[in-house]
Amino acid sequence: MDQNEQYKSIMSEIIGKQIIILGPNVAVMRARKVPNLVINDDGTVASITGDPSEAMGKLIDSYVELSGQIVKNTLGSIFTKYPEIKQAS
Amino acid sequence: MIPQNILYIAIILIILYLAGITFAYWFFLRSKRNIEMKESEVKHRMYELAILKEIADRTGYSLNIQKILDVIAGSLNQFLEYDVAAYMLLNPDKIIFKSDLQHSVSPQFIKEVRGRMLKSLAAILGRDLTNVSVEETITGALMLEATDEPVRSYFNIPLVIGDQLVGVLTIAHRKEGFYKEEEMSILYKIVSQASQAVTKLEETVKTEQRKTAAMIESMIEGVVMTDRDYRILAANAAARNAIGYEGTELPTIFDFITGLNGAFDIKEKLEESIKLDKPLTFKNVMLRGKYYEVLISPVKSDVGVIKNQILGGVVVLHDITHEKEAEKMRDDFTSMIVHELRSPLGNIKKIGEMMKSTKVLENKQMSSEYVAMLSESSSSMLTLLNDLLDAAKISAGKFTVEKKESNLKELLLGRVKFFDTTARDGKIELSLSFEASAPTTASFDPVRIIQVVNNLLTNALNFTPPGGKVAVECFLHKKGSTIDQEATKLQLPWIASREDSSTGMLDDCLVIAVTDSGEGIAPENFGKLFNKFTQFVGAARENKHKGTGLGLVIAKGIVEAHGGTIRVGSIVGKGTTVYVTINL
Repeated sequence: MDQNEQYKSIMSEIIGKQIIILGPNVAVMRARKVPNLVINDDGTVASITGDPSEAMGKLIDSYVELSGQIVKNTLGSIFTKYPEIKQAS
Repeated sequence: MIPQNILYIAIILIILYLAGITFAYWFFLRSKRNIEMKESEVKHRMYELAILKEIADRTGYSLNIQKILDVIAGSLNQFLEYDVAAYMLLNPDKIIFKSDLQHSVSPQFIKEVRGRMLKSLAAILGRDLTNVSVEETITGALMLEATDEPVRSYFNIPLVIGDQLVGVLTIAHRKEGFYKEEEMSILYKIVSQASQAVTKLEETVKTEQRKTAAMIESMIEGVVMTDRDYRILAANAAARNAIGYEGTELPTIFDFITGLNGAFDIKEKLEESIKLDKPLTFKNVMLRGKYYEVLISPVKSDVGVIKNQILGGVVVLHDITHEKEAEKMRDDFTSMIVHELRSPLGNIKKIGEMMKSTKVLENKQMSSEYVAMLSESSSSMLTLLNDLLDAAKISAGKFTVEKKESNLKELLLGRVKFFDTTARDGKIELSLSFEASAPTTASFDPVRIIQVVNNLLTNALNFTPPGGKVAVECFLHKKGSTIDQEATKLQLPWIASREDSSTGMLDDCLVIAVTDSGEGIAPENFGKLFNKFTQFVGAARENKHKGTGLGLVIAKGIVEAHGGTIRVGSIVGKGTTVYVTINL
């Protein structure tokens, strides 16, 4: 899987987790506010333009802005599945 | 026919007019939209401020997050339409689930909301919550089976205090895509601000709790504080030691129940104290070899609307082991004094009864023997009473001596001569060594120093077996060298005191020492030597030489009243040296 696909996959999982935590309406709405990301209605990432790492950082920040640092703490298990991708501190 | 140029001008004017109207209309619409947006913003902002104020007014931003959530849920309908507004709160043993129905929904709808909230909490906590008990409360509109519509729109707001997840707030509606981002964001913001306020308050409270805990921790008494549900809020080191708790975490009530091992039912007594609303005291509670006086008291609030409300309980463990020991010592001392008085008094009574007989009175020899016995018994009582009086004066700091220039050498020769008969009866070699360079006279109270030497010699002879030696020694101490070094240099029989190293600091003085080759004193009994209530048990004393044990106490008092000091060196099985100093 190339890096862009990996980022699409991990970001889809992040959004998926936020759908469970926050609900689909909010989770997808917040994801759609992140520049350079195209999000499907089910919360999966359709495409990324530009730097995927930056987009992922902005996606996480967007959720943290909404409901605090605790949301970030729930993402650890997702990142362990993608060892090549580092979670921004 | 209209000239063409006029026609062009007319067309341009018409176009400009239409453009103007279009622009004006667009501008109007734009302004209207802006005004509406501003109005909406102001409305939301007003709501935000109103709800935060209401939270502050109604709860004072208490640490009770449930109260805050009740305020938020209760006022949500002012700005947001919903079918169900619900919150879940995590408790140690259960989850509280409360939902408010603005419109009637089906039980299935509630079940769905509850399921989604549990999933949200489980996803954040990273653990399964399916087996956790959920306490459910539903308020508002009635639930109707008929309104069988599913949840189509909802959003969850995690509730975080400090860094801890405490619950989740959920808003749900049966209509698809019902909630706009703006509405949801405002609610997130309100909850976030309320959480931050509570977090700050909690931090302040925790800081104060830490200060209180530090104070409690430093207390000598064992202190345990519980809440209304008997959860331990604080337990200091003394309390933890009392139950032998070695864990690093705060002990639980169960640790106390286990640690107390049936000696004391802490939970039952706390319940009793809280129920009766009064402090209870339990004396002589034995815990791990120590005696405690246990005080249990309800803790009440003394401020605000909860004034006089019971907040929990406090247990104070007061270690009374030393008091019990002192009490026993006093009792033993009293018994001993009574015993010592009873014997001569008994003798006097018997002799008096016998002397009633004319036969005895007529027999001069017999009368004379009985009178001598009466004198001996009364002297013995008088000595005992004098000892008691001296000991009492010493304890009260009222003991005085009358110093005058006196001959110490003659005093010691007289004492050795006096005890010579007793020594010979006990087959003990008694000797006196007076250093040639030591002054023979000094300023002291001869009566009292005789008392001291008598006490030292009586003890030495009592504790020395037949064939042993008792040596009375007197030499000059010079500042700079220790008394032990000086005695060794003079090759005197000597057992060094553990405190001898400090005698190098003493000014020049005379040292009077009595060294015996007796049984010696065990190290654990050293502390009892100068305690008037403690007569340590030595074999010789137990079997042959019972006494008040006041001799050394009085000797110490007399020597210290002279400005001198008394020291003891002893080795079990080898002997004892007791010496006193008399300032020059």
